[in-house]
Amino acid sequence: MSPSSWRTLPFLLLVSVTSVFASSKSFENTAIVRTAELGGSVVHVTTTYAIKALDDGQKTYTVALGRAEREKTSFIEAKVKGSKEPLKIKERALDTSKDYHLVDITLPKALSTDKTLNLVLETVQTHATWPSPATAAQNEDQSLKYQTNLLILSPYKTSVQRTKVKTLSPRIISYTTPENAKDLTDKDVVTKSGATVTYGPYDNLPSSTNKEFIEKYQQSILIHYHHEQPVLEVLNLQRSVEVSHWGANINTEDKIDLYNAGPKLKGHFSRLQHQSQKYFNKLSAHVLPALTLHLPAGLSNPYYYDLIGNVSTSNIRIAPSVPKNKQGTQFSVLEIRPRYPLLGGWNYTFTLGWDLPLGDVASYDKSAGKYTVEVPIMTPLLGAVVNNAELSVVLPEGASNIEILEPFPALAKRTDIHKTYLDTTGRPRLTFIYKNLTVKHAESIYVSYKLSWVAHLKKPVAVSTAILGLFTLGMFVRRINLSLTPTRKV
Amino acid sequence: MDDYRRLQALHHSLPAFTPAISISLLPFVAAFCLLPTFALAFYSSTLPTSKLNVKEPATALVASILGGFGVVALFCSVGVYV
Repeated sequence: MSPSSWRTLPFLLLVSVTSVFASSKSFENTAIVRTAELGGSVVHVTTTYAIKALDDGQKTYTVALGRAEREKTSFIEAKVKGSKEPLKIKERALDTSKDYHLVDITLPKALSTDKTLNLVLETVQTHATWPSPATAAQNEDQSLKYQTNLLILSPYKTSVQRTKVKTLSPRIISYTTPENAKDLTDKDVVTKSGATVTYGPYDNLPSSTNKEFIEKYQQSILIHYHHEQPVLEVLNLQRSVEVSHWGANINTEDKIDLYNAGPKLKGHFSRLQHQSQKYFNKLSAHVLPALTLHLPAGLSNPYYYDLIGNVSTSNIRIAPSVPKNKQGTQFSVLEIRPRYPLLGGWNYTFTLGWDLPLGDVASYDKSAGKYTVEVPIMTPLLGAVVNNAELSVVLPEGASNIEILEPFPALAKRTDIHKTYLDTTGRPRLTFIYKNLTVKHAESIYVSYKLSWVAHLKKPVAVSTAILGLFTLGMFVRRINLSLTPTRKV
Repeated sequence: MDDYRRLQALHHSLPAFTPAISISLLPFVAAFCLLPTFALAFYSSTLPTSKLNVKEPATALVASILGGFGVVALFCSVGVYV
């Protein structure tokens, strides 16, 4: 399986398969438009390349990302514009001596000379923005800064390129006006219109993946903008999924460490000010009073508790159960209101769990004797990044021939034995470790396993053996005579 | 990715998982297994303690098999999905 979306750690070197070095003469970019949608902890960058082949039979197109940019990117996907199918991409080894990072995209069909194609490269950057000022009082605004490179690098010639930076609200405090860019364009180097700052158009750029060009023209641009929603990060997510065949149930439990990554609170927290702000609907942008989560439809026995105990300030609207091919079309909505509003720099740790009927997520292949379970990796939190995630899937006791199919590779995987109620030999537990997950990573892992009926009966047999042991003990104890005087047989 | 999509399509088309004993029946299975278990346990305590008594191990066996299934059904019906 070749994953088309990748994540990386800044210090992890990606080993690449040797790929054909793209000749700068094989393609020409007629237009490149990069749109960076600024969120809180997550920035969505979409780059559209309008390419034209200069040579015949070109199958691989190479895009370049800034090295710092690549280190912040946790999701990369390339598609042909208008298509839903992601293209195969291969990343070259991360070279810390170069300022750029190359990614080879395999085109769906070989392009002949002078044929054009529109490619869309979608990336999600995490931890790319930071609050500035770093502290804010309870009633102050929240503003963030985002820094990126001015020019989109490409190993091929570019006729025209633009970079658009979009914020959610039109309140932009400042944006850099690039120097040295006068000879790249004859119009304005930067314009702002509403919530969009456009850098460009920059015309007639040569092949830019070389040191001379980067030193001469590449510069960083900084946008300072107001952000009207709290910036959320999940520092740690531990999801534990347990499959039960006797109960026909799949239990999911999430342990979430929520962190408000906005400007840290300056001064003290005034409950009075908070209540009056809420009453007049003037809550500051960096205060998180409540959170809405979309959980699967058909769930039962939901629980939400933290260190102190059950949190009753929560509301759930459960949607009726849907079959397994309709998972993701209906949701149960859970609104949680933590015990205290989350201000900048504050943490909140809680546990969330629910049961789902196993028939809604598992299928049985009679010919192969295989069960397949769909396990979602995370519940997406809009605009939030999950710094560290651990997913553990506990299969029934005696499950064998375990196969895993992932939508994208996990950072680490391990298998061990987990013992819980009424277990003898223990259940297989698969653990997956992830870093920097975003809404784009909220997909499902498919786990297949075989469970023979002998293995299925292990549990009642184990309990029966224990009870039989008790009876045997009883039979012996009954025959022990502890009377002091001999019993006389009359 | 193709393998993933293929398995996804297969998963959607295959029949859903069905348990060996239907969930709605589990509380009744628990009751119908555990009550005889206790009854047989009591009965086995009243049996004479002669050396060769087939009744004792026989009741013990029946009671433990019923008890095994009863306990598993009981656990599942109260929400501890074992």
